[in-house]
Formats: sequence, C-alpha cells, structure tokens
Amino acid sequence: MDGIIGEYKEPTDAGPRVMLTFYPGAFPVKWNQCSVAADFFAEYFVDVGEGGLTEEAERRDFVGSVGYVLNELIENAVKFCAGGTVVIDAGVEAGEFVVVVSNQVCGDAVDGLRVKFAELLDGDPAELLMQRVEENAANPELTTSGLGFLTMLSDYKARLGWRFDPAPGNPDNALLKTAARLQVKSS
Amino acid sequence: MTDTTTRPSGSDTDIKGPGYRVWFDAPARTVHFEGVLRLSTSEYKPIEDLLDRVLLESPALGLRMTELQFLNSSGINMLYKFAIAARKKGETEIKVHGSSNIPWQGKSLPNLKKFLPTIVIALD
Repeated sequence: MDGIIGEYKEPTDAGPRVMLTFYPGAFPVKWNQCSVAADFFAEYFVDVGEGGLTEEAERRDFVGSVGYVLNELIENAVKFCAGGTVVIDAGVEAGEFVVVVSNQVCGDAVDGLRVKFAELLDGDPAELLMQRVEENAANPELTTSGLGFLTMLSDYKARLGWRFDPAPGNPDNALLKTAARLQVKSS
Repeated sequence: MTDTTTRPSGSDTDIKGPGYRVWFDAPARTVHFEGVLRLSTSEYKPIEDLLDRVLLESPALGLRMTELQFLNSSGINMLYKFAIAARKKGETEIKVHGSSNIPWQGKSLPNLKKFLPTIVIALD
C-alpha cells in the first residue's frame, strides 16, 4: 500500500516547525476545533517564518491562505479518521509554508483514494471545480462537497501530494499523509 | 457528525451560531453574512433554505459578505450552488458585496460569475 501521488514533501528542521497531535479515540475533535487549530498555525507562522511578514496585506493573505488550506486538511483528517491519531506537522522554509496532515483510513479505501487524488492532479482544477459544483447542485443529497482540494489547487495555487504507509498497530488501516505547500508571499 | 456547539439558533431569517450570523434584511432585500463560517456540509442546510426562500420571493437580491472573515469549502459549495439555482431560475438581479481585504473573497468570489454570468460582484 506504499506509494506517493503528486508533489509530496515533508517539513524539515531547516526552518521553524511545529507539530500538533490529536488523540481523538476517547475525545473526538469537535468540528469547530479544526478551525481553532488551523488559525493557530496561521497566526504562529505569520510572525516566525523567515523573520515574519511585515506588510499588512501580505500578513492578511498569509493568514487567510494558510488558515483556509489547513482548516480544509484538518476537517478532512478528522472527518475520515478511522482510528489512531491526527497529526499536523508544519514549517516554513525556502519561502514556502509546508504542511503534512496525517490520519488513518480503512485499508479498503486506499485504491479509491489513489484514483481520486490522481484525477485531481491530472485535470485543470478550475474546470474540475466547475464540474463538481454542477454535480453537487444536481445531487442535493450529497453530504460532502468535494471542493476542498479543488479550491486549494484552483484558488490558492497549493501544491498537493499524498503518501500511503502501513498504519502503526492496525493492519486493517493505512496511514494517509496529505502534504500541501503554499508560497509565503503569493504575489 | 452531530455537534451541539455549532447548532444554529434564531429564526429562519436570522440564523446564529458560535461565531457567525446570517440574516435577511427584508426591506433592503439583502442577506448579511457575518463572522466565521466553517460548518460541515449538512450544517449549512438552514442557510441554504434561507437563500432558496428569498430567491423564490423576488429576483432582486444582495449578498453582503464584507463582515465574513472565513468561509470553508462546504460554504463555498453552498454559495456556488445558489448561483446555479439563480441561473436556472433566470432573470435574477443578484449583487455580491465583498471586501478585497478578506483573502478568500478575492480568491473564490470571482468564480460565482462562471455559474451565474449576470451576477454583479463588488469588492470594496
């Protein structure tokens, strides 16, 4: 079940780095806590990454972009977590914000996810986003919008990658690591 | 996921939850979005219903986003679906007021035109 899809990159200790681990087993992560965690990383790195950003417009854009992308990644990890921990590992280096969010998924879901991720990276994200919204409008019973990764690619120019590994201690699960990178200064 | 902390309160034209409010100003025919909206897809239903209802009443409608700091992808899905519903209804006059100081609005609001070419988007 190993393998990498897209541009998978993990943060290193070359720059500032923070890891946060949720243990949702007995105390599930509440939905609004995804937002709190995302905003913490955005507010933290706006001031420490490579001396911090000083221009007000740049700071707003960084906090907005990192907050959006990270909130989507954490919401996904919490929603689809099939046991184990949810880990957020983020850093800033070489002008990029780099984050990997990890969660366990059912081993049976891996093949379907691989296909889905590959399709996301194969097409034009703006076109795929249009198609997906039209499908969502035609199928109001859908409970997921499927727009998270598409908006990250299309509107935030995020570079995404995924990696599957064996899940520690659970042979029925796989460990899914989702990587996203954003330019610290988007323009 | 059932999470009582994000359950909305208020009336069906004034929806309030932790950190957000969505309300309809009937005389001004404007729906105001305020705060941080990062709900799950199913939790947007009361807001979707409000938008559907006011669109049925009249083709002219304003959406004021200048106080909406964050919107997640499920909320963006709701907005885009509303634009499609308006396109299917036809002959609508919908204007969105946003702020160029709120990053998600500059990045994601322009897409509304792809779903509803007649929509007017004004970013302060």
